[in-house]
Amino acid sequence: MFRAGPREVAAVDGVSFDVFDGEFVALVGPSGCGKSTILNMIGGLVTPSAGTVEIDGARVIGAAPANVGYVFQKDTVFPWRTVARNIALGLEYRGVTGEQQARRVREAIALAGLEGFEDAFPATLSGGMRQRVALMRTLVVDPAILLMDEPFGALDTHTKINLHAELLALWNARRQTVVFVTHDLSEAITLADRVVVMTRRPGRIKMVHEVKLPRPRDVIQLRETDEYAREYRRVWHVLGEEFAERGA
Amino acid sequence: MSGRASVLAWRLVILLAILVAWEWLTGVKAISRTPGLYWIDPFFISRPSAIAARFVFLASDRVRLSIWQMALSTVQSTLWGFLAGVGSGFVVGLVLGRNDRLARIFEPYIVAFNSLPRIALVPLITMVFGFGILAKVVLAWTIVFFIVFFNTFQGARTVDADLIYSARFLGAGERQIMRTVIIPSALGWTFAALTPSISFALIGVVVGEFLGGESGGGLGYLIIQSLGTLNAADMMVALVSLGVIGIVMALGIKQLERRLLRWRPEYRDRA
Repeated sequence: MFRAGPREVAAVDGVSFDVFDGEFVALVGPSGCGKSTILNMIGGLVTPSAGTVEIDGARVIGAAPANVGYVFQKDTVFPWRTVARNIALGLEYRGVTGEQQARRVREAIALAGLEGFEDAFPATLSGGMRQRVALMRTLVVDPAILLMDEPFGALDTHTKINLHAELLALWNARRQTVVFVTHDLSEAITLADRVVVMTRRPGRIKMVHEVKLPRPRDVIQLRETDEYAREYRRVWHVLGEEFAERGA
Repeated sequence: MSGRASVLAWRLVILLAILVAWEWLTGVKAISRTPGLYWIDPFFISRPSAIAARFVFLASDRVRLSIWQMALSTVQSTLWGFLAGVGSGFVVGLVLGRNDRLARIFEPYIVAFNSLPRIALVPLITMVFGFGILAKVVLAWTIVFFIVFFNTFQGARTVDADLIYSARFLGAGERQIMRTVIIPSALGWTFAALTPSISFALIGVVVGEFLGGESGGGLGYLIIQSLGTLNAADMMVALVSLGVIGIVMALGIKQLERRLLRWRPEYRDRA
């Protein structure tokens, strides 16, 4: 149970699942089902009142585990730092300086297609570019586990699909273990190996669905295929009930 | 004419209009040839020509204490008080802003001391620190400290928690979070306090100089002297000088802000 104010409100209840090394798992469910809470528990931001979170057999208590990267839904790029200095943050914190830092930042900027914007302040960038900076800032320190909380939720469809392609390309190269929270089922199916469907609050696991779409995936063509439609229908059949019962 | 130039032109026109009106109205007699009865009596507010003449005299080396020395003394006391107040207010604001327990312990003291009219402290501060420059610096400090403290405190408290979390996930320790998240985030709030701070520092210093006598003699001393001799022209010289000092200092702060906060959208195209 997750304590919220004086009343105890169960955000999630009886949730248990494994994520395997190098696997891309998406958590979907109606808003308020506690999927972000689960992510925050994995990340050590929220301590579960019952139950445990373990990473590689070690229990997560309180602090943010090392080698876990977190991409927030909200824009968390530091507005007072340029693009390059934002991406350099993790390296700076770890004491990577000088030429080595500069080289890795350059590589990350090239990977994200942000060349020419190195010295721009975030206020001058579009939402999609800012989220790209946030993603590269997380990836530049090469985390083994990547937690993403609706990272593309605030973006328009066009930008979103471009970022899906970029994220998949980056993930293909490194194969981090990813837990990706979203309420957008097409996003979940496009990206993930497995989709975990949650019920409404208090969130429970309703279904775990394995996405049998071959990789590497072309995020645009994928959506035209019958396989994609089949996968979508199968999960939607279950997820749709949760949306419907809410009556909104 | 571009917007900027026209604004500047209007400013000059208004200044000239005021000076001309002032000079003219204080020179026209209400009843002809009756001494003293002017439309506006220059005895009280002097006239631009007389003020300019007094300025030239006070700026010359024919006086014991020139206007330059007095202005310098005032500027020095103001800057020292300002720097001490900004420095200490910023540090204490950050510490209490990030530590709820300490903030709760100190809250009543801070509120009590801040509601005390600082002018009431002038005699005490003079008693403790004497008539020299130090008393004025301390007085300015006690005022500036609170202005900067409250703003920085608020700024440090309202740092976006998600920015702190993301720094932590990127491997930041507490000190790195302070340096890279909390201080830059609070700086915007602190800067908002600096322009009023410099004005209030100037107020503190001038009030201190009223009491301070010749030893620390700044522009406030000139004002009190002029009151003693009923010399409106000298008083105006001091007031105009204070105005100029205030403007220059405020412009300096604006420049600094533009540099340090150049990431803000409002400074974007000027950076």
